[in-house]
Amino acid sequence: MLTQIGPFFSEAFAVLLGNKTRSLLTVLGLIIGVAAVISIQILGKGMSGAVTGVLGTLNDRSFFVFPNSRQADVFKAAIKYTDIAKTTSLFPNIVAALPAGGVQRLMTAGHHHARLSLTSESDIAFATVPLIYGRNLSADDIGRSAHVCVLANNGYKRLFPDGGDPVGTSVRVSERRFIVIGVQGAPTAGIVPTNFGGDVLIPYTTFVAEFLRTRPLFAAKFLVRDPSEIGATEVAVIKYLKSIKNGRSEYQTFDRRSFSSSIDGIFTALTLVVSLIGAVSLVVAGIGIMNIMLVSVTERTREIGVRKAIGATSGQVLAQFFIEALLLSGVGCGIGLVLGLAIGAAVDRFALVAISGVVPEIPWVQSVVIAVGFATIVTLVFGTYPAYRAARLDPIEALRYE
Amino acid sequence: MSENAIVIDDVTKIYSTGALEVQALRGVSFTIERGDYVAIMGPSGSGKSTLMNLIGCLDRPTTGRYTLDGIDVGTLDDNALAAIRLKKLGFVFQGFNLLSRTNAIKNVALPLFYAGISQREREKTALAMLGEVGLGDRGTHKPNELSGGQQQRVAIARALVNDPAVLLADEPTGNLDSTTSVEIMALFRHLNESGRTIIMVTHDPETARYAKRTIRVRDGLVVSDERSDTVPSALEVT
Ligand SMILES: Nc1ncnc2c1ncn2[C@@H]1O[C@H](COP(=O)(O)OP(=O)(O)OP(=O)(O)O)[C@@H](O)[C@H]1O
Ligand SMILES: [Mg+2]
Repeated sequence: MLTQIGPFFSEAFAVLLGNKTRSLLTVLGLIIGVAAVISIQILGKGMSGAVTGVLGTLNDRSFFVFPNSRQADVFKAAIKYTDIAKTTSLFPNIVAALPAGGVQRLMTAGHHHARLSLTSESDIAFATVPLIYGRNLSADDIGRSAHVCVLANNGYKRLFPDGGDPVGTSVRVSERRFIVIGVQGAPTAGIVPTNFGGDVLIPYTTFVAEFLRTRPLFAAKFLVRDPSEIGATEVAVIKYLKSIKNGRSEYQTFDRRSFSSSIDGIFTALTLVVSLIGAVSLVVAGIGIMNIMLVSVTERTREIGVRKAIGATSGQVLAQFFIEALLLSGVGCGIGLVLGLAIGAAVDRFALVAISGVVPEIPWVQSVVIAVGFATIVTLVFGTYPAYRAARLDPIEALRYE
Repeated sequence: MSENAIVIDDVTKIYSTGALEVQALRGVSFTIERGDYVAIMGPSGSGKSTLMNLIGCLDRPTTGRYTLDGIDVGTLDDNALAAIRLKKLGFVFQGFNLLSRTNAIKNVALPLFYAGISQREREKTALAMLGEVGLGDRGTHKPNELSGGQQQRVAIARALVNDPAVLLADEPTGNLDSTTSVEIMALFRHLNESGRTIIMVTHDPETARYAKRTIRVRDGLVVSDERSDTVPSALEVT
């Protein structure tokens, strides 16, 4: 009968410590497997966190269309604004069509000059960047092609290096004046600028009329009414643009949802592969543990005989060897857990945070569950048989064993 | 409870290995009183170890009855037999059979471990027991740091630590030189004089002389059973 389990642990510990090198080599596979699975879990979590961090400010009601870069004549694929403007009447889901990208212009505000990117924007902002002053463009600004502008944080810093509220003052671009109506806050930290929009944002109607004119554009930005239909709308727009080019040009689209789901897809696949590697290493490690346990049972046959002669029950012998297996896999999975967390956290810290500026949460619970699960499975599947072999030994024969 | 520590009644043991049947014991009967000191002798293959294994509850008789300290052992299951070995019996082996990794105290404490006694209590009792076999100062030595005679003393301490009804020894001096053998026999004598029941298998008539009674077996049968009058005292040892 198992009166106390505790002493069995200290006994088993002593045995495993007496064989340090062997014990460590035995659990090496387990360490690697658990560390790999846990670090990739953390990385997966961190990556989707990073994607959210990068794309977090983008709304899901807009998409980009641009010529496929892998075609013979990218320049031929350039589109006229009049063509994309038509889409608002052709496709009921499209609310507005904007030229994407901007033009570089020398701008002046007070005594400060800077060459900055002037970009077209709609009242439904492509990115929802919080404002520090004023307001965003309104439908009215768009409707009457107003000479107003919203400054992205970079534009604000360059034109108003002294800070302060610039709302109501004006920014001069060539001969035109734009009244500042709002200023965006700094984008979240990270090396990928979340501000896709340029430095100075003006109503797209104004932009088309006064800066684009008849110049062809390479990319267009569409705002849709119903984000759940965005995929179908993208397909239809591509088809429409191809028909304009008589099928001789290729286009592709980009929106928040498809981008994050493609990254998620990559990570799901990666996680699956690493989990498979983990599962294989689990089996290999388990067989290693079973092998060493069987060797140990054979080596210690006499000892088992002595223990039984002294009065140990089969159950106590079973417990002894089972707990040795449990400790082996427990230690292995424990080291694997620590190593996996360290690797995962390090990659998170030094790679992902640098990219996205988002500090991902470490999935502690999940990692511990994985490690404990591995240890349990390995012990149950591979520790039971050697322990059973030990328990079943006949004491007389075991005592006679040389 | 009876005065008899052991009652063996018409016990047989047949080993069947495949087609071959070996009659190791063919009907053995004897009684051993509490406090007795019995030597079992006989030629090789006569069934001495088989008999000791039965008395030691490591094996079951094919037929016959065996009563240990008032308990009919034949009716017990494996776990109950383990409990009997733990509480009523102490084993001393020819080859000492100490656990090589652990020190003397831990070796002696092993039965207490299986009896579920706390570590502090175990080590205290084990140390006291080592003192009783004259090794009070060797508690932290590992078996390979002890002489053969000292190892056997540790084994004897281990056998006695649970205060068993009977001490069983199968050729306890078989691996020892004659001087050391005499020391061990002196210890046995001393233990018997302080009330321990001892059953010992031996080849050596010199060793058997220390016992109060000698049972001779041959071909699985008891051929003689006599008490000796000329027991050498423990003090007589040189
Ligand atoms: N497990 C077994 N299977 C088959 N036969 C056995 C087994 N154990 C013992 N025997 C046989 O039973 C007989 C008695 O053996 P036992 O070991 O009791 O002899 P012994 O008197 O102790 O001999 P020794 O003095 O050499 O130790 C022998 O013929 C032996 O071959
Ligand atoms: Mg024998």
